[in-house]
Amino acid sequence: MRKFFPVEELARDSRFTQINMRQAQADPRTALVGPNAARRAKTNRLTPSRPDASEAARALMHGIFVGEIQALEGAGRTCHDFETATGSNSAAGTETDSVPFALKLDMARQAWDESRHVEISVKLGEWMGAEIGQFAENTVLFEAACSTDPVMRLAGVNRALEGLAIDVFTTMKEFGEVAGDPFLGFCEDWMLADEVTHVKMGSDWLRKVTENDPERRARALEFQSIVDKLFSFGGTRSESSDSPIGLARRFRELAGFTSDEVDEIADVSLAALEDRKAFAAAAMSSSGMSSSGMAADE
Amino acid sequence: MTVTVEPEVFRFVEFDNAMIAEVGNKLAAQLGIDRPIVVRVDETTPLGRVRATIGDTIEVTVESGAFEDSKRPRRQSEVATTINLGRILLRVRDRLHGGFGEAPLDDDIALAQMAAWETYCAGRLSRLGLRINRQRWLYNFRNRHGFSDKADAAFDAVWAADSLTWVQLEAISDAAVAVPSSA
Amino acid sequence: MADPYKPRTPFAPWDRRQLPGLFDVEESARRIGNYKWAEMKLFETLGGWVATVPELDVKMRLGTHCYHHAWHAELWHKRLPELREMNPDRLTKPANDAMVRFIEALSEPEAAEQTIEKLVGVYRVFIPHFIAAYTFHRNNTSEITDAPTIRSLNFALHDELEDWRDGEMLLQSLIETPAEVDRAAAHQARLEKIMLEAGGIAGPGSIGVE
Repeated sequence: MRKFFPVEELARDSRFTQINMRQAQADPRTALVGPNAARRAKTNRLTPSRPDASEAARALMHGIFVGEIQALEGAGRTCHDFETATGSNSAAGTETDSVPFALKLDMARQAWDESRHVEISVKLGEWMGAEIGQFAENTVLFEAACSTDPVMRLAGVNRALEGLAIDVFTTMKEFGEVAGDPFLGFCEDWMLADEVTHVKMGSDWLRKVTENDPERRARALEFQSIVDKLFSFGGTRSESSDSPIGLARRFRELAGFTSDEVDEIADVSLAALEDRKAFAAAAMSSSGMSSSGMAADE
Repeated sequence: MTVTVEPEVFRFVEFDNAMIAEVGNKLAAQLGIDRPIVVRVDETTPLGRVRATIGDTIEVTVESGAFEDSKRPRRQSEVATTINLGRILLRVRDRLHGGFGEAPLDDDIALAQMAAWETYCAGRLSRLGLRINRQRWLYNFRNRHGFSDKADAAFDAVWAADSLTWVQLEAISDAAVAVPSSA
Repeated sequence: MADPYKPRTPFAPWDRRQLPGLFDVEESARRIGNYKWAEMKLFETLGGWVATVPELDVKMRLGTHCYHHAWHAELWHKRLPELREMNPDRLTKPANDAMVRFIEALSEPEAAEQTIEKLVGVYRVFIPHFIAAYTFHRNNTSEITDAPTIRSLNFALHDELEDWRDGEMLLQSLIETPAEVDRAAAHQARLEKIMLEAGGIAGPGSIGVE
């Protein structure tokens, strides 16, 4: 088996269809600008009071499901792709092709946690009326897990994307509680506890492994910021009520983010939301669409 | 009756005007709708709301997500087109012929009542042979009426029904709502 | 209540544990170093395979079992310093070159169509050998002096037996044709021959027979 498995070859059964982030970003449609935005309620936040709440929650649950599969695969690959650091490197793993034994153990633990999350997501999806593979699978999470530097994986996956999972689970937990769903809030709360642990693992290991290499740490944090912004594309997650998913400040702080870091993520996410609005407005304008949503000459 | 579709050519999505018209014509014949239908697709949004205005011509406004293949963004799904056009045309037929004269305008219908009406439509579409995921509609019904045996029994009654009036549907929905709320 | 000051035998009548054992401290540490190395290779391989198997149920099982073996490796890693091996890395090694070749052959299948080979290697060859070596060690080491190792062996054995059942049942559900039976058997035979050469997880004598 090779070291470093390409995202294009992720193995799936015939129910799944995969798209990458570039394809997802190429979609010029959005509900954030144009005539629909004006007609919409004051907030896009995913709550049961939204008319499309059930549909939106189901789609998000499927997104969680495939995200958990990729998180499982990413954690598993980190167990396999790197040598186990020995001797003087064993604590820090100063080489980019090796990781400390204890870090591998944490990744194996994460693989088990993510396996359970896949199981939970399958059950919740059935409960909500979703079908496996019903929605396209965006492979962005595994892409972030393909770096050949394990520190980049910690920053991109454990801190950025698992951090996003904290925000998503918090939103879904609140959704389930408000709707009175007997399972959704219960399960999301359990998964949230695991995700806080995974983000903390990422924060702790990132700090430890780059203890004597500030340049490597800076590169990793920059990568995290890129992933944070990439995944906020479309305004999916921010503190603005335009975003379906909020930023879970308290849980992020429990997971090892400083207040400054959470502020930075909030800023990056808001910037991504504004970028998306500008992109969509430009796409509409270049297609000759007016604010009515119809071609300007009609 | 003729179904016309706008726009002729899609720019944001890969939809087929002729296929939508064909599906619409088939449904109109199957449901006995005897007025011209115009289907206007708003391709600038990925959302999936469908609305209808009834006049001499029935005007159906569709957000592109309603006809989209959820596995392949921006591409059309014939199944989704059939189901979502079918749902709205059933509601149109209910208003025209089915004892729904007292029903408020769509925008004024409470979310729980709308969920009940959608369930009534989905149940009938499943009996027309369309592949409908019952659990999907049960979940929507529960979100609006509460997660309770009472709500589930109401769902079963609505799902199995073929000739409800608005007054009957409203009564079932109102009785099933566990806690009156905006949901 | 009985008189708490009345002398009692230190070992209750039902406690039949014996002092003698086959392994001294060095031999126990050597075997445990081999176990740790083998468990590490197994959890790394299982983790790597998760992305390569299309079957969703198998994918989730591999992720779960990956952690079981990582935890066993951790148990052995923690036991080594208690056996006078203050540098656990020194004894974390394969029993011999054949074990290295065994791991190479075990982890070789990668294609999405090779789930049978992947599972056969783990559940019909490797894990049965873990069960054998651990059982031999548990049943032959001193029940009193080496009790911490026995406790870890029992935890590990519980997982190994549960995981073996999971894996074997997955295999039985995946093998649908006589040709697939042959595929599974051929791969099992190939790996079993290398393991025979290795003499087991801890080399010759893994189960007492040299």
